[in-house]
Amino acid sequence: MTKKRMVVQFGQGHSIRRADYTAAAERAVRDALWHNSLTVAEAFGFPKSAMIIDVEIGVQKPEEVNVDEIIKVFPYGQPSVRVVRGGLDIPKPHREGINIIANAAVIVSFAMEAEK
Amino acid sequence: MTRPTNSTEEKRVILETGSGNDLYGEDYTKAACRAVQDALHHSSIILFRSLDIDHKTMRVQVTIGVQEPDKVDTTVVAAELPRGYAEVTAVFGGLNVHDPELGTTHVVATAAVEAYVPIDAAAWRLCNAV
Repeated sequence: MTKKRMVVQFGQGHSIRRADYTAAAERAVRDALWHNSLTVAEAFGFPKSAMIIDVEIGVQKPEEVNVDEIIKVFPYGQPSVRVVRGGLDIPKPHREGINIIANAAVIVSFAMEAEK
Repeated sequence: MTRPTNSTEEKRVILETGSGNDLYGEDYTKAACRAVQDALHHSSIILFRSLDIDHKTMRVQVTIGVQEPDKVDTTVVAAELPRGYAEVTAVFGGLNVHDPELGTTHVVATAAVEAYVPIDAAAWRLCNAV
């Protein structure tokens, strides 16, 4: 196995008024990314384009997340997105509707091996 | 275990950021510790396991921003860092939210946690994923 995980970043995002699972997921990804600044590519002398980015998102209705919108968040690297059932929906107390909470993990890897 | 060689250099692998409050106690150390915890728990530096690098070789440089940096007990903040060896400095920053009517102040601290690891970049190359 030459795909080596470097860093896992975590975030949480919400859709409070629109009940939009894609918006909540995108905010969760941004929360994960913008808490950290990765310099791991430079540390190994690799180009940032070599970063393999595996995104995992948990929401209560995974089928409602538009994965293409999540991919657009990433300025470089090779992103792929997997959405699973998770996150949390909380009903509003005094009227119809829900607050949506999405959880995101962004796993950054390189396909790398030791010099012989 | 990956051993340091002649071409090993200390490199920063990540900057983690977080913020923390002390809402009623005006305790700058408590706010700083919460900011550090917030910073730490938005990422996991899994490369130590992936590449078999000893995490004890990591140097952790912590900078705390608060409005009264002299009131931060940096030794207490350093104890929040579970791995590597931490150096903590407090500088002027963060935010205090004062209520002139009630005479209360909410203290907000910001934390920057930088992880430096000795890496021999020449010992690794990119390849095709299998």
